[in-house]
Amino acid sequence: MRIFPGGKTLKEAIRKAESRTAYLCLIPSIIGLVFITYLPLLSVFILGFFKFGKGAPTPVFVGLENYIRLFTSDPYFLDSIRVTVYFSVLAVIGSLIYSLFLAMLLNRKIPARGFFRAVFYLPYVLPAMAVYIGWSWLYESNFGLFNFILSSFGLDKVRFIADSHLVVPSLAVISVWLSGNLIVIFLAGLQNVPRVYHDAAEIDGANGWQRFRHVTIPCMTPIIFYNLLMALITNMQIVIPAIALTNGGPGNASCFLTYLMYRYAFISNQLGYACSISFVFFIIIAVFTAILFATSKSWIFYEGDAN
Amino acid sequence: MRENAAGFRGPSIRSRKRQEKIGNSATLIILILLGALVLLPIWWMFRSSLMTNAELYAYPPKFLPGRWLFGNYVSTMDYFPFWKYFKNTMTIIVPSVLGGTVTATLAGYAFARLKFRGKKFLFTLCVGSMLLPTMVTLVPLYILWTRGLHVVDSYLPLIFPHFCGGGAFNIFLIRQFVRTIPRELDEAATIDGAGHFRILVSIIIPSIKSAMIVVALLLFIMLWNDLLQQIIYINSLDKFTIALGLAQFKGSLGTDWTKIMCATCMSFVPGVIFYLIGQKYFVEGIVMTGMKN
Repeated sequence: MRIFPGGKTLKEAIRKAESRTAYLCLIPSIIGLVFITYLPLLSVFILGFFKFGKGAPTPVFVGLENYIRLFTSDPYFLDSIRVTVYFSVLAVIGSLIYSLFLAMLLNRKIPARGFFRAVFYLPYVLPAMAVYIGWSWLYESNFGLFNFILSSFGLDKVRFIADSHLVVPSLAVISVWLSGNLIVIFLAGLQNVPRVYHDAAEIDGANGWQRFRHVTIPCMTPIIFYNLLMALITNMQIVIPAIALTNGGPGNASCFLTYLMYRYAFISNQLGYACSISFVFFIIIAVFTAILFATSKSWIFYEGDAN
Repeated sequence: MRENAAGFRGPSIRSRKRQEKIGNSATLIILILLGALVLLPIWWMFRSSLMTNAELYAYPPKFLPGRWLFGNYVSTMDYFPFWKYFKNTMTIIVPSVLGGTVTATLAGYAFARLKFRGKKFLFTLCVGSMLLPTMVTLVPLYILWTRGLHVVDSYLPLIFPHFCGGGAFNIFLIRQFVRTIPRELDEAATIDGAGHFRILVSIIIPSIKSAMIVVALLLFIMLWNDLLQQIIYINSLDKFTIALGLAQFKGSLGTDWTKIMCATCMSFVPGVIFYLIGQKYFVEGIVMTGMKN
């Protein structure tokens, strides 16, 4: 056996070269994980205990003051949690049903499938700012498209995003419209459902609904879980429409948690306080994620042969 | 499903085929209706951009403009310097997409093929970062760039992060793709004396080209939508992107909806073009990742 420099065998030398290549390949990602993801997360936690920004050019330790202010005297905070959760529930449920339904339709043998897929995906590739400005014109109180549709059915005009009861559902509709990416992922999942299961069920006399309920849905649960998780994380972070269109209004009806954080950090320059909000936001997402993962075992079906 | 076996009637092949035909026609009709509904908002914005203001506020509104006033676009450009904004946007997007695609490929390859200490730990950290909302780290990163590194009104904070792995999802996607390439190819190349980088460049990258295009497209769309970072890091008008320009244009015009819709529709165009170019790779790519694991 040849001995390499440092008294190593060939096998060891190869292994060493392999891990050196691996670390070289991973340097950018490691820098990213450390400096852009996990250290900032740690600093959110730490800065939450500091006053920083307006009235404190360098960070001043204030203990739990930020959190006490948040939960006892902040006029917007609790409302903003309610609004964020309300919006997320509407948007997540809406976009999952919408995209699963469309994926099922697109999975059939129909002409021009590629064209239809492109149509439903299209909203997702439009720039967010333009989408919200465009929709604000459709939602316009007097001359907007939707009010025209309503009035042609003899219904009263509504003010959509200018109405404190309707602003959140109206924005959730835009979110559903934008969820074309979920369709593609569902479609990928549907194409992985083994054909034999459907055939077997059909031979057993199962009708379309029964096949959907007992074959498609169980096989799709891992993908439903993935989409649910990703849609939840995306929609909880909703902030652009609040910045671009509503400024959190009317009243505080669209003052999402992330928008509140944005306002404190970048408009009133209370960076430490904004970090305490970020941290609470992180905890909320973590709790939702943990609940999803904890319950997932009971409803996700893993095929025996999946590795 | 067993209880249904009793009711087994064994539909003839012909009636099954007919049933399927009816089902497909119904599907097609639903798709056409829903597709029209999904496109309606975009059509409405476009048709509004081609109208006179009088036509715009007419009641009942018309689905087609009386005359297609493409001149609206020319006059909008006087106030909305689309090409300048487009150039600025591309200055951010092009390097970011390149950086993200390359670093995601490197990382995905390492996770898929190479053995090294701490692999499991790093991979867990990586997947874990997928669950961490970017909003959470927004403020500390802003502090780091503007207070710590004194980088103000620059594209650097928008571009740099994409040179750091291109996002966990993309790394994961590349990894899944690399795993589908038979290891025998690598081994054959090793016997021929090729090193790991040689294998990466001459075997892996050619076979995962479509995955890399998917990653580039996903990054493109993400950056195209990444308004928030632009708002907080860019201040001067000269450096405005399309999204920022649009926001400022809307703010200054208020209710001149014809011009606002012109600007809106203009900013739709690049994304749509890029999507149409890359579309065929897109679905193929996501299908192949086999989201199961």
